[in-house]
Order: sequence, then C-alpha cells, then structure tokens
Amino acid sequence: MKVAEKDNVVHGMLQEEYGRCLKVINSLQLKAENYPKGALNVRRKIINGKKYIYHYLVRRDGKNVINQHISEENISAIQKQIEERDKYRKEILAYKKRLDYLEKLLKKSVPRKRS
Amino acid sequence: MKNKLPDNLFPCEITSLLQAISSVGFFESSILIGSWVMPIYRELYGILYVLQTFDIDFAVHVAHTKNKLRADLNKLITGLGFSDYFTADGIQKFTGSGYEIEFIGQRSGGREKNFLSVSEWNVTAMPLPFINILIDFSDEAVLRGFTIRFPQPEAFFLHKLIIAQKRLSDAKRDRDLEQCAAIMPVITDERIQQIVKKQRFSKETWRHIAGSCEIVGFPLQCIG
Repeated sequence: MKVAEKDNVVHGMLQEEYGRCLKVINSLQLKAENYPKGALNVRRKIINGKKYIYHYLVRRDGKNVINQHISEENISAIQKQIEERDKYRKEILAYKKRLDYLEKLLKKSVPRKRS
Repeated sequence: MKNKLPDNLFPCEITSLLQAISSVGFFESSILIGSWVMPIYRELYGILYVLQTFDIDFAVHVAHTKNKLRADLNKLITGLGFSDYFTADGIQKFTGSGYEIEFIGQRSGGREKNFLSVSEWNVTAMPLPFINILIDFSDEAVLRGFTIRFPQPEAFFLHKLIIAQKRLSDAKRDRDLEQCAAIMPVITDERIQQIVKKQRFSKETWRHIAGSCEIVGFPLQCIG
C-alpha cells in the first residue's frame, strides 16, 4: 500500500486549528455564561374574568425547575440577551463539530475535556 | 487603474465583512493581512498557493491611540452576525461561521502592552512588531465595487522573512517560508530595496532575514 508522506505545513495548520478551536470554545463559553440561563415562557391566567399575562424565565437547577418572573419592562432586554446567548451557543456547537472532525484527522488520543 | 478582483474570490461571509468595513473607510489606511491576502496575489500575480486559515487578520493603522471615533467596527462586525469575545490577554476577537477576526497594530517599544485600544474604530488590537512594513507599503484592489487594501507582495515577503525566524511553532515557520517561496517569483529587487531603505533593522533582524533567505533560496544581495 502506498502511504502519502506527511506534509508538515498542512499537518501544522490542522494542529493549529485544533488548538485555536479549543481556545475559542473556552472564550465563548465564558462569554455565554454571562447571559441568563433558561427560556422565556408566558403564562396566561384569567382572574375574575380578566386576562393576565405573566412572563417567566424557566430554567433547570439540578432536579428542580425554576420559574423566575420577568417584569414587563425587562422582557425585551432579556429576550435580546437570550438571542445573544443562543448565538454564542450556536457558534460553540459549530466549533465542537469542527473539533470532532479535526480529532479524527489528527487521530488525537488524549481525550479533551468536554462541557 | 485599480486592480480588479473577481466577485467570488472570497467566501460570502468574508466578502460581506470586507464590504462593510470598506464602506466606513477602514481601508483608507488599514489593510487586510494574513493568509487571506494569498487569494488576492493568486488573482493579480498568478501566485500558486491554496492554503488558508480561518483567521481573518487586519493590520490597523494607529496614528494616535486617542483619535476620535470614526466608525464603530465592534457594532458593525457584530451586526453582521459575528460574536465578539476577549482572549485571556485582553485581545478582542470576533467569530462567526467558524472564522475568527482579529486586529493587529504596530508594536512600538517593549512588550509591556498586551493590547492596543484603537479608539478610532472601537476595537482592540494585538501589538506586534514590523506591522508597519505591511501598512506603509500597500496596494488597493476593487472587489464588487468596493476598495480593499492589502500589502504589496514585497512587503508581505519581507515581513514573512523576518517573522518566520521568530516563530515558536515549527508549523507556523514552515508555513511562512512556504508562502515566501510561493511569492518569490513576483518579487522585484527595486521594490524590496525601496522598502528596506525605509527601515532601520537591527543586526538580529538582518540575521533573521538572511536565515530565511537561505532556506527559501532568495539571494540576500537582492534585498540590499
């Protein structure tokens, strides 16, 4: 079987990209932690025939589900923060996918810390 | 007449980014650097080099660190869908679609500063030496009707000759020298000598240049 000779430049670029992905994931995770956890939820209640709408930030804390009430004036700010957080999460996911691919290419034997 | 580049030279994310920062005048004095300059050289000079990294680097011209805000690049870039973050050193970067945007500025003096605040563009830049070689000797090209600025091949070549020997990573050094070897056929002695004349290199820098020249097979006497 003919085996291709290792190209140091290409291999180095892949190694470099692997290291870069790890660093970016760490930085993005740190950034994403600053945003609120959970999802916005709406509860509708009818009290004495009058309709009331309450907004909650729902998140899981271990086995418990926490509903944190969000006042009307904070909703748009929270919504924006959640959108930002999701953008970071999406980016982290893309980097993790790339990392998986690079691991296979580089045949990394050391398991990386996953979060 | 300005150099004209084909519309599809870069992936669409990079083209949009270049267009946005060009529209606010960034390329009047700052430039695109790094491996994404190679497709421009390929187009304009027929250089054969296909490897690209996911880093999109810009050398930012910093006249005065306290210049008033000209355009908020932070807002502009995040508005394009990129997310900003800071590295442990305090360097601001942007990431999107797997690409990483970084700004680099001329490091004058010692290594005490980890980053440069560029108030003119509301970004922070990584200070590195010899960046002015790239900024001071640059060319313009038109891509989809907007202008981008990039280093002249001779400036890029000289810069790579110097930094290749300073690299801690063998892979990066090999890549720098491989890029030098790819650009070498289009280097004109006159232009590279003009660039060198404007610099005041230390003996150590000359040693680095000589070392790299020997590896890539470029005659040192052509540099000066």
